[in-house]
Order: sequence, then C-alpha cells, then structure tokens
Amino acid sequence: MALYAQPPTSYSVPTTAPIEHRFNPYSDNGGTILAIAGKDFSVIAGDTRQSEGYSIQTRYARKVWQLTDKVVLATNGFAADGNNFVKRVKQRLEWYEHAHHKPMGLKSIARMIQTILYGKRFFPYYVYNILGGIEEDGSGAVYSFDPVGSYEREACRAAGAAQSLIQPFLDNQVYFKNQQPAPGSAPFVPGNLPLSTILSLVVDSFTSATERHIEVGDGMEIYVVMNRGRNTDDLLGPGILAESMHVEELGALGEGGGEKTFLVTSPLKRD
Amino acid sequence: MELNGGSVVAMIGKDCVAIASDLRLGNQSVGVASNFEKVFPVNDKLYYGIPGLASDVYTLREHLRFRVNMYRMKEEREITPKTFTHLVSSTLYEKRFGPFFVEPVVAGIPSPTPLDPHPRPFISTMDTIGCITTPKDFAVAGTAADKLYGVAEGLWEPDLEPEDLFETISQTLLNAVDRDALSGWGVVVHLITADKVVTRTLRARMD
Amino acid sequence: MSGPGSGGAYSFSLTTFSPSGKLVQIEHALAAVAGGTTSLGIKATNGIVLATEKKAPSLLLDTTALEKVAPICPNIGFVYSGMGPDFRILVAKARKIAQAYWKVYGEYPPTKVLVQEVAGVVQKATQSGGVRPYGISLLIAGWDSHRGQSLWQIDPSGSYWAWKASAIGKNMVNGKTFLEKRYNDDLSLEDAIHTALLTLKEGFEGQMTEQTIELGVVTVPTAEQMQEKPGERLPPTFRKLTESEVRDYLSL
Repeated sequence: MALYAQPPTSYSVPTTAPIEHRFNPYSDNGGTILAIAGKDFSVIAGDTRQSEGYSIQTRYARKVWQLTDKVVLATNGFAADGNNFVKRVKQRLEWYEHAHHKPMGLKSIARMIQTILYGKRFFPYYVYNILGGIEEDGSGAVYSFDPVGSYEREACRAAGAAQSLIQPFLDNQVYFKNQQPAPGSAPFVPGNLPLSTILSLVVDSFTSATERHIEVGDGMEIYVVMNRGRNTDDLLGPGILAESMHVEELGALGEGGGEKTFLVTSPLKRD
Repeated sequence: MELNGGSVVAMIGKDCVAIASDLRLGNQSVGVASNFEKVFPVNDKLYYGIPGLASDVYTLREHLRFRVNMYRMKEEREITPKTFTHLVSSTLYEKRFGPFFVEPVVAGIPSPTPLDPHPRPFISTMDTIGCITTPKDFAVAGTAADKLYGVAEGLWEPDLEPEDLFETISQTLLNAVDRDALSGWGVVVHLITADKVVTRTLRARMD
Repeated sequence: MSGPGSGGAYSFSLTTFSPSGKLVQIEHALAAVAGGTTSLGIKATNGIVLATEKKAPSLLLDTTALEKVAPICPNIGFVYSGMGPDFRILVAKARKIAQAYWKVYGEYPPTKVLVQEVAGVVQKATQSGGVRPYGISLLIAGWDSHRGQSLWQIDPSGSYWAWKASAIGKNMVNGKTFLEKRYNDDLSLEDAIHTALLTLKEGFEGQMTEQTIELGVVTVPTAEQMQEKPGERLPPTFRKLTESEVRDYLSL
C-alpha cells in the first residue's frame, strides 16, 4: 500500500505555463491605392487583388468607390472595415442629400470622414483612405487619411502594401523632389500635370508595385473625375490608352452637374 | 540593419554600371555622421557596397581586402566581378550561424579577354549569409530597399548611356532615402565605364 | 658509416641535409620516378596532349581498371611516372583542392594555382616528421581563361616548372631528345598527339595498343562554348581519350 500512498510528483506539479488566448478582430488584406490631382481633374486608382497572408482571397475586390458625381473614395487595409466604412459614408451622403437637397461637397466629405473615423478612435476602422475629386472651385483635389481621421489635402498620395515603393516615385515625378528646372525655365508647380502624364505615372506605379510586391496585382481600376465642361479628348482620344485598357463613362449619380467620371480598367500580372 | 541605417543601389547601363550609397551613420534614430561611405573599390573596374551594421561593414571590408590581395598575388591577375561575388558569398556563408549583418551589392565591368572581348557589365547582391542574385537591371539593399525597388522599377530602363544612368541612379537613391528615416544625409555615386570611374558626391536633403 | 646502404647517416633522416647540401631521400624518390613508366606531355597551339604507357606486369591483369591519366577538375588533368599508390593520394588531394577552390570562387582553379597548391603538398612531405617524399613526378595539363593552356611538371621535392613539351620516367632522356627534335611553336593538337605517340613508341617494349597506353587532351574552347547558358555547365576543357579514339590515332 505504501506504494500508492503518495501520487507520483508529476501528477501534482503543473507541467505547462498558462496560455493566453486573445481574439484579434483585425487582419490586413493587402493591395495598394493611389491618387493624383490635376488642375481640373483627379485620378484615383487601386489594384483589385485581395489577400490574407500568402493566400489570394479574390483577384477582383473593389477598393475604389464612386461616392458622388465629383467624389471618389479609395479604401485600403482591412477589407471588412473598408466595406463597412464605405457603406456608412454612402449612407451619410444619402441622409445629407435628403436634408439639404444637394450632394455633399468634396471638402465636407473629407471632414465628415474625419469625424466618422475619429468616432471610432478606440476601436478604429483599420483602413487607410484616399479621397479624390473636384473641389467647389473646380480644381482637382486629393485628401488622404490615417485610420483615426488625421487628414490633409495633397497633390498626390499612395497608401497600402506598396506605399513605400510608390510614394518616393511620386515625390519625384509629381512633387518634382530632387529635381531642378533648367536654368531660365518656369519653376515646377505640383498638381498641374497633364492627364496623359498622370495616367502613365499611375500605370507605371502599379506595374512596378506588381513586379516587386506579392500583395499587389491581378487588375487595376483607375477612376478619372473631370470638372464640368472639361474636354475629354485627352482620355477618350485615339491612342491615349494602351490596347489592354478599357474605359467607360459612369453615368451621373444624381441630377448631374456636368462633371464626368470615367472608369479605366487594366489587367495587371497575376503571379 | 536598423541600428546604423544606410542604403546602397547599383544599376546596369549600356557598357557601364553605377553603384551609389547614402552617407548617413546613425545610432537608431540619432544621426551620428554624414560622411560614412558604404561603397568601396576593389580595383578600377569593380566596386562593392555594404549597407548594414557599421562594425560589420568595417570588419568585412578589411577581411575582403585581405582576401582580394591574397588572390591578386596568388593568381597574378585582378579578380573579376563574378569571382569576387563568390568570394564575398563564401566569406559570408562561413559565418552561417553568426552572420555579418550586411547585405552586399557588387558592381563592375569584367576586363576583356580573347574569348570574351566585349564583357557585359555585372551587378550582384547577397543576403546576410551570402545567397547570390545577379539581376539584369538593378540591385538594392539597406534600410531603404523597398523604396529603392519602387523608384528604380519606375525610373530604370535598358541600355542607359553613362550620363543617363548617372541621373537615373542618383534620382532613385535621392528620392528613396528622402522617404527613409534611417538613410540619407548625403549621397555618393560611382559611375564605372570601361576606361574610367567617375565619383560624385551629390547635394541632398540633410534632414 | 652508420647503418646499411651507402648513403650513410643522412639517407634515413628525411629532414637532415647531407654535407654536400642534398636531401638524400629526395634523390631516392627521383630514382623511383626514373624507374617508372614513361609519361609525356606536349603543348600545342590549340591544346595539350598527355600520354603515358600503361603496361601490365601480368597478362592476367584487367588493364581497364588501371588509370594513369586522371581528370582533376573540368579544366585540368594529371599524368605521372613513379609509384602508383602515391599518385592516387595526390590525385585525391588535388581534386579536393580544386573543389575547395570552386566552393570559394564559383569556378575551377587556374592551372598554375592548382600546380602551386599541389606542389605545396608535395613539398610538405619533404620537411615533415614521420613521412617520406612522394615517389612520383607529375605532368599537369590545363586550360584557364587567364593563361590559356599550360603544361607543368611537379617533382618529389615540390619544385615545379612549365614546359612546352616534356617527358618523365624511364625513357625521359631519350624522350626529351626526341621531343626537342620534333617540337615547334605552331604545332596543332592533332600533330602533337601523333608526336606524342611517336615519342612513346621510342623505347616502348611490346605492342602499343589502346590497352597499353593512355591519352588525355586539353582543348582550347571557342568563345561560343564559353558562353554560359542557364541551367547548363560549361563543357570540360580536359578529357581522357576513349579506347576507340586512341585506336583511331594509333591506326593513322
């Protein structure tokens, strides 16, 4: 009996440390967005790949959304948050239109987005937003946000997985950083590039990012918002877009103020 | 890598190569020196850059100087870029389980030989334990590597003449390090052609 | 004098000089070489030939298993005169040296570098305790991009030279005299192979057949052959001739 009087020590000594379990409500779905402002137009673009870790969830998920006839919003980060965020913004825009009988202006949407984002300061939408469109004065504009609502108006911005690849390229090509005008020629002014140049920059940015970043690729959606009365030849004219690219004009959402939004789509490498 | 910061980039052009580095030496976020070159000559047609932990940069440079001098005396010839790459690689792999914290980039033009009268310019890069890649376009390394990839991918094109290659590599490095807190504080560019090497220190943002 | 033999006290200690300044054990090693079968090498404008006789001491021996010309790495080959077992040791060491070089530099050693390394190994056996010198002389033929084709000899002392053409072993003196008469600076590899066979024939006892000689050649590659193609290795510049190739040369 003495043998069983005392249990072996291994029964009584705990062998494992306590494991902490915690729910993480966020994930990162990759992808990249970017926007560049022109004088009287704005270009907002995003790729269409959605991934989690090394898995591609879909080769077509929308990241860029037409909000009004003159405003387009690009979202990037945690797709679930992004989709719900856009849903809320659209709902607020509808309420605004019911209350004021006019669509909300770009500047106001930007400020509203800040309040929505900051409203969830302690459980944020894990989303980086870039807002592009036409300002009240008819100028092309880009606003960029962090996840909790800090924002500023800029001439261009890249965000998402390949931000670090694209942004310095844009600094150089849009803000003319580290460049000097030839002696005697006019100084560089950011935000005045012609549409054809901006389209090339956007396409080059995404093909470059696709080449070097695994989370970027599959397809690209480029929204071009033009001020009312602006000539569309530099987008729709012959030989402007590459063979593989497709362009369609998106109809007016409301009564229509004469602004035009075009959606240019183009395939990207899928590997 | 993030202790001292720093970046290197190399590019191939038409019968020329260029290699450039920033000049910053930091202690984490504190800048310490703005004259810390990370690109060194092996001979007048072969340069290499080593961004990474500054003490390893020194140690490896001296180690390679020793091994290249021994090679030069034993073989009675200059080492070629390809052979030098293998030398660096095997030196790094010797320390497989206690590596040098550096990512070397090699750039050079091999000397013509009867069997290869028109040798092509050569660049290569390695990880910390010496795994070699030999790109046809450009090689980047250091704390601004991702930025360098993005800009280089956008600016580089095949068969750049020496002057255009110089402009391309300069713009690539300047704009990439401007977006990297751990790189910058000046830039030095080496442009290697068959008959000479041009070294220029560029005016850059110093913040 | 102490001890047996005529060398006196110096003949047994490898590392003791005789009063005349010689290491007698090395002299003895050279004697072992001089008693070995004849081997020779000739450098041509577009390659090198190594040749040796491979005579079996008994009819019952399977000569296909004998190897006297040995590839060391794709660009270098050895042949020897002297003691077979010593040769195999040096071949193994040389191959290891070549592979170690490849590991560091990603290419095989230039001929001269391998010769220096192997000569170092041979020299060490003249100065270390508890060993005897190698009882062989080596002829080493190789090609490299730096010096092109070159032909070298290493002796038991560890000394080495480059030759245009040379012979070692039993008929060394006659062979060299013969080669001196036949050699010129614009010999082609084909000419060199025939000259090698003729030289070997001088003083060859018995029938010279593909079973009783061995040939190895260095060929100078063309620029096209030196172009690296992805996934492919460069063609070797040293190779042994097959028995049927040797037979063809003998019948010409």
